[in-house]
Amino acid sequence: MEKAKITPGQLFILIFLFELGSALLIPLGLSAKKDAWLAILLGMGGGLCLFLIYQALYNYYPDILPTTYMQEITGKVLGKLLAFLYLIYFLYIAARVLRDFGEMLVTFAYDETPLFIINALLLFCIVYTVHKGIEVLARTGELLFVLLYFLAVIGFVLVVVSGLIELNNLQPVLEEGIGPVIKTVVTETWYIPFGEVVVFTMIFPYLNRPKHVKAAGLTGIALSGLNIVITMVVNISVLSYELVSRSQFPLLNTIQAIEVAEFLERLDVFFMIALITGGFFKIGLYFYAALIGTADLFKVNGLSRLIYPLGLVVLFSSMTIASSYSEHIQEGIRFVPLYMHLPFQVIIPALLLLIAVVKNRKKQRL
Amino acid sequence: MMIKGLLCFFSMLLSISILSGCWSNQELPDLALVSAIGIDLSEDGEFVNTIQVINPGNVAGEGIQNTGGSESPPVSTYTEHGYNMTEAQRRISKKVSRELYYAHTNLLVIGEKLAEERGIQEIFDALERDNEFRTTTKVVVAQDAKAEEIIKTLTSIDKIPANKVIKTLRSTERIWGENINLETRGLLQKLISPGTSPVISCFRAPGDEEKGEAIEGIQETQPPFRLQASGLALFKDGKLIHTVNGDTSKGILWVLDKIKETGVSLDWKQNKEAIVYEVIRQKTSVSAQVKNNQPKISVEVSAEGDIGETAVPIDLRKPHVLKDLEGLVEKEIKENLLSSIKKTQELQTDVLGFGEAVHRADSEAWKEMKENWNDEYFPEVEVDVKVHAFIRRTGLRNKPFLMDF
Amino acid sequence: MSYRFRKFLKSKRKYTNAVQNAGPAEELYTSLDSNLSKIKQRTGNSSDIVIREMTTAQENKQIGVIFVEGIVDNRTIHDFLLESLMDDPAIETEGTERDVLETIAEKIVPLGEVTRVNNWKELYESLMSGLTIILVDGVMQGLSASTKGGERRSIQEPPTEISIRGPREGFTESLRTNTSLVRRRIKNPNLWVESLQLGEKTKTDVEIMYIEGIASEKNLNELRERLENINMDGILETGYIEELIEDQPSSPFPTIHFTERPDAVAGNLLEGRIAIFVDGTPFVLHVPSIFIQFFQSVDDYYSRAYIASSLRFMRIMVFLISLYAPATYVAATTFHQEMIPTQLLVVLSAQREAVPFPAVIEAFLMEITFEILREAGIRMPQAVGQTVSIVGALVIGQAAVQAGIVSPAMVIIVAITAIASFTTPSYSMAIAARLIRFGLMIVAASFGFYGLILSFIVIIAHLCSLRSFGIPYMAPLAPFIPADFGDSVIRLPRWGDKERPRLFTTKNEREGSGQKPTPPETRNIKKQQMKKGDLNDD
Repeated sequence: MEKAKITPGQLFILIFLFELGSALLIPLGLSAKKDAWLAILLGMGGGLCLFLIYQALYNYYPDILPTTYMQEITGKVLGKLLAFLYLIYFLYIAARVLRDFGEMLVTFAYDETPLFIINALLLFCIVYTVHKGIEVLARTGELLFVLLYFLAVIGFVLVVVSGLIELNNLQPVLEEGIGPVIKTVVTETWYIPFGEVVVFTMIFPYLNRPKHVKAAGLTGIALSGLNIVITMVVNISVLSYELVSRSQFPLLNTIQAIEVAEFLERLDVFFMIALITGGFFKIGLYFYAALIGTADLFKVNGLSRLIYPLGLVVLFSSMTIASSYSEHIQEGIRFVPLYMHLPFQVIIPALLLLIAVVKNRKKQRL
Repeated sequence: MMIKGLLCFFSMLLSISILSGCWSNQELPDLALVSAIGIDLSEDGEFVNTIQVINPGNVAGEGIQNTGGSESPPVSTYTEHGYNMTEAQRRISKKVSRELYYAHTNLLVIGEKLAEERGIQEIFDALERDNEFRTTTKVVVAQDAKAEEIIKTLTSIDKIPANKVIKTLRSTERIWGENINLETRGLLQKLISPGTSPVISCFRAPGDEEKGEAIEGIQETQPPFRLQASGLALFKDGKLIHTVNGDTSKGILWVLDKIKETGVSLDWKQNKEAIVYEVIRQKTSVSAQVKNNQPKISVEVSAEGDIGETAVPIDLRKPHVLKDLEGLVEKEIKENLLSSIKKTQELQTDVLGFGEAVHRADSEAWKEMKENWNDEYFPEVEVDVKVHAFIRRTGLRNKPFLMDF
Repeated sequence: MSYRFRKFLKSKRKYTNAVQNAGPAEELYTSLDSNLSKIKQRTGNSSDIVIREMTTAQENKQIGVIFVEGIVDNRTIHDFLLESLMDDPAIETEGTERDVLETIAEKIVPLGEVTRVNNWKELYESLMSGLTIILVDGVMQGLSASTKGGERRSIQEPPTEISIRGPREGFTESLRTNTSLVRRRIKNPNLWVESLQLGEKTKTDVEIMYIEGIASEKNLNELRERLENINMDGILETGYIEELIEDQPSSPFPTIHFTERPDAVAGNLLEGRIAIFVDGTPFVLHVPSIFIQFFQSVDDYYSRAYIASSLRFMRIMVFLISLYAPATYVAATTFHQEMIPTQLLVVLSAQREAVPFPAVIEAFLMEITFEILREAGIRMPQAVGQTVSIVGALVIGQAAVQAGIVSPAMVIIVAITAIASFTTPSYSMAIAARLIRFGLMIVAASFGFYGLILSFIVIIAHLCSLRSFGIPYMAPLAPFIPADFGDSVIRLPRWGDKERPRLFTTKNEREGSGQKPTPPETRNIKKQQMKKGDLNDD
C-alpha cells in the first residue's frame, strides 16, 4: 500500500467517474428494450446493496487491502488463490474497457489509425497518472469531474433546445411486462456498471475518514446511476429504440442529432473526446487496483517496478481478447457477466462477508 | 537522469509525430467537401451517384486569392454508377483529385425512379454505417426528374445549391407547411417502425435543364431553371407510391404535428377564400383506443393565430364575429385533415403514425395488427378529428378599409 | 529570541564555519602598516578600495580608515568619521584603562552601529558589505562602522506588475528598502525577519520574512532547511534560490511565486506565507505557492468581488486559450473538419487553398516567427523596439498572407494566442504555457483531439502531482477545500471570506463577524422648506 490518503469527497467523485466511464458509451441494458432505463434504475438498486456488502467487509478490516483480508478470512492458501483471481479479473476488465474505448475511437473518428496506437496512448496517460499514486488520481478526478459534468449539462441543454426529445418513443412502458426487465437487471445492469464498484474495496483503506465511506459510496452510485438513467432516457427518446438498439455508441448518435443555430452541430467528436475522461478513470482505477493488489500479494516494494509490466499486460490483452468488435461485445454479454461479474462481484464477497461475520462472532464469544 | 528523461520524451514525441504522419489526417486542401449526394437508378438497375462538391475558392475566396470570381461555378458535380452504394461512391474518386469528405453533406436527393422501383431502404445502410456521413442530413425526393438534375442545378442567392434546397425547405416548412424538413435520422426511424411510414418532401427543377447547369443560367433575375419545393412523396414499405400536393400535404403534416405557421383561407358568405387566418402556433396530438379489436384514432388540434387578410367588409372589433370566424377555421381545418387522412387511407399507407399511436395505447392488440396494419386495419380505421382554433389578434388594423361605415 | 531562531543561527554558524575552513581566519597584525599592506595585497590593490591613513592630533596615534567607494555613504564617512577622528580631542587613552578602540567606539564616532572586528575574515566581510573599517596602530583588533550607502535606484512603479488600483510602489534592489516597504504595511512586532548570507563568493544577504503566529512552523522549518542546503558560489537573483529550493525541479510549471509589489508580499504574509528577500533584486519570492495564485493579481483584491471573480475566471480560460488555440486549430482543420460549421469550413478551405504548407507547419512557422519577434522586442533598445514591432506586424500580418505563405485564419489564431498569453499576471506561468504550446501542436498534428484530451489529462494529472513546500499545487480545487475556495478561482467579498487559507496556517480567523455592511433602513428625509441654494453648494 502507498502512503496516501483520500477524502470521502474524492471517493465520491472517483465512484461517479468510474460508473459513468463506459456505461455512457455502450448500449446498456437494451435487452429490456424501451425499458432499458428502468433496468438501469433497478440495477442501481442492486448495486447499492452490493456496495453495502463491500462496505461491511471493509468495516471488519478497515486498514488492510482485500488481498490481505481474504487470506485472513479463508486461510492462507485459498485466500491467496482468491486474491490472485481478483487481480486477474481486474486486469482483464481494465483490458476490456480499454478495448471499448479504443474501438469507439477507431470506429468514430480515427478509422485509419491502428487500434494498438490508440490503446497505447490512452494507457500511457493512465500509467503516468497511476504512477503518481492514488492521491493524484483522485485530485485529477476532482478537476475533470467539473469539466465532465459541465459538458454533460451543456449536452443535455442542447438536446432539449434542439427539440429532439420525444417522450412518445419511450411508450409503451413495460410492453412485455416486468419479466424482460428483471432478466436484464440480473444478467447485465446489475454488474455493469454498478457491481463493478467491487474495485473500490481496494481503495477503501486509503480513506482518511472511514466513517464516511458509506455515505460517499451510496451517493456516488446513486448520482451516477441517475445520470446513466437520464442518458438512456434521452437516447431512446431522441433516437427511438430501434436506432439505439442498432447503434454501437448510442450517446454519440444522440449528440450527433443536435443542431442549434446552424453552428452547434456535429458535436459528436467533441463529446466522444469528453467521454474518454470517464474511460480514463475506469481503466485507471482497475489498473491501480490490480497494481496495489499485486504489490500486496507478492510483497513487492514500490509500485514503479510493477507498473510497466502490468501496463504491458493490459495493453496486449486489450489487443488479443477479441479479434473483432462483435466478438468483443459478445464476450461482454455472454461470458463476462455470468462467469466473471457474478462470482467476483456477488458470490465471493457475500461468502467472505458471511465467514467474516461468523468468525467475528466467535471471537466475541471467546 | 533528468536529461535522459527529457531526451526520451522528445524522441518519443518526435517519433510519434513522424510515424503517425498519415493516419486519419487530412489537410483541408486535400478534401473535396461534398455538399449533396444524389442517388438514381440507372436503366440496368445500377445505382447512379451524383455528388456536388464545393469549390471553396469560388464560394468564399473572393478578395483573398485571385482564383475566385463568378466566372467559375461554386460547385462541381461528379456522377458514377455501381451495383452498390460504396462502389458507386468510391468509383467517383477516379474523377476527383481530392478525397471525398462526406461529413458536411447536408442534402441527400433521391431520384424518383429509384424511390418508385427499387425502394429507398438499400441506400441508407452504407450511409448510416459510415462515420463521416451524419444523420442530420436532410432528405428530398426529386420529382419528375433524376436526382442528378437537382444536384447539377446552380442557384443564385445561396451559392451552394444544397444550401438553397435546405434553406428553402426550412423556411417553407415554417411559414407555409406543405413540405417537411426531414432528417435522415427521422426517416430511418419511420422506415424501421412498423407503425408508421415516411413522407419526404419533393423538389422539382422545371425549365431547361441544359441551361441550369451553366453559370450563365444564374446571371438572370429569373433563371430559366430554378429549384423549387413541390409536394410530399408518400412511401409504403420503402417505395414511393404517390405524390400529394397542396392542401393534402398540409393536412398530412398537420396530423404529424409539423405545422408551425401557415395560412388558412376561409369562405365568407359566397366570397370564396376571402379571409385568411394565420396560424401562429398549433399543437396536434394523436391518440388511439382499441375496442373489440377495432382501433379508433382521435386527432386533436388546437391552433392559435391572427387574422392575416380580409377581402370582405366585416367588423373584426366584434368578438362574436371572431367567434364565428373561429368556427369557420375549425371547420376548414377539420375538412382539410379528414380529406388528407382519407387520401392516405386510400393509398393504404400509414404515413400519419396512427400505428404508433395504437402501439402506445394497447401493445397487446398491436402485436396482432402489426403485420397487416397498412393493408387491413389502417384503411378502415375510424378517425375522429377535433379542432380548437383561437383568434387572438387581428393584426395592426381592426376593420378592413373596404368597410364603409 | 526564540529557540528556533537560535537553532537557526547555530546552523548558520555551522554553514559559515564550513566556509571558513576554506579560507584562513587569522588574527590581525599589531602594526597598522602591515595590516594595511595585507589588505592591499588581498584586494589586489583595487582602485575602489580607499585606505585613508591619519594621525590623531594629540597623541600621534596612527589610524587607518578603510572603505569601499561606491557602496558606502560618502557623506557619513566624511561628516561623522573622518572629521571626528581627526579633530576630536577625546582620544586620550594614556593613563586610562581603556582600550583606544573602545574610546573611539563609545566617544568619538557618532554612528548607529559600531562593532569590533577580530579577524581577517570578519574584516573582509564587513568591508565588502559597505562598512568602514577603522584600524589603530598597535591594536590587534579593528572597528567596523556602519556606513552603508551609495547610489541606489529610487522606489518606482513596478514595470512588470502594473495595477490599475493599488499602490504604485515597487521593490528596489536594496534589501533594506524592500523590507522596510513591507514593514511599513504591517506595523506589528510579530513581523519577523531572519537573515542569512548565501553564496560562498558573493555573500549575498538573504532574509526571510514572516508573521510569527500566522506562518506555519512546518513550512518555516522546511524553508530553513532548504536554504541551508544551498551551497553555491554565488546568488545573484531570487531565481537562483527558486531553482534550488523548489519541490519539482523538472516541471515546466513554476511552484514558487515571485512579485515586485510590497502590497502583494504583505497580503501573502497575512495569509501565512513566507517571503524570501534577496539583496540586489527587486523580486521577492513567497512560499508556498499554489497554481491559482499565478492567476491572481493584486488588483483583484482591491476591486469589487464580482468583477475580480469574473476576471480570474477569464484569466484561466484565456490561459487555456494561450495553451490550446493553435493546437485546436491544427486538430480541427486536419482531423475533425466535421466540427467546423460548413460555411466556416468553406472559408477556411478557400484560404488554405493556396498555402503550400500543412497546417501544422504553418502554425509552427507563425508561432516561431512570433516568438522571435517577442524575444527581439524584449532585447531591443527601446528606441528600436517600435520599428521592430512595426516590421513584425507587417511580416506576420500583411506580407505573409499576401505572399500566400500563411492563411489569414492562422494569423488570427496566432494573434489571439499571443495576446492571450499576456493576460496571465505571472510571467513564469505565461512562459510555461509558451513552451508547452509547441508540444501540444505536435500532439494535435499527430492525433487530433484525442491527443489533445490526453495531453490535457496528463497536464492536469501533472499539475495535481506537484507540490509547493508540501502543499498540493492545485489546492484548494484538488483536493477541494471548501473553506479556501473563497479566494481561488473566485474571490468572495471580504465579509464573506472570514478565514485565512487553511493550507498555510492553522490560525484561521482573520476578521470579526458581521462585517457585511448594511445601510440603515430608511434615510429620514424630512419634508422641509427648501430655501434657495439648499441643494447647491453654499
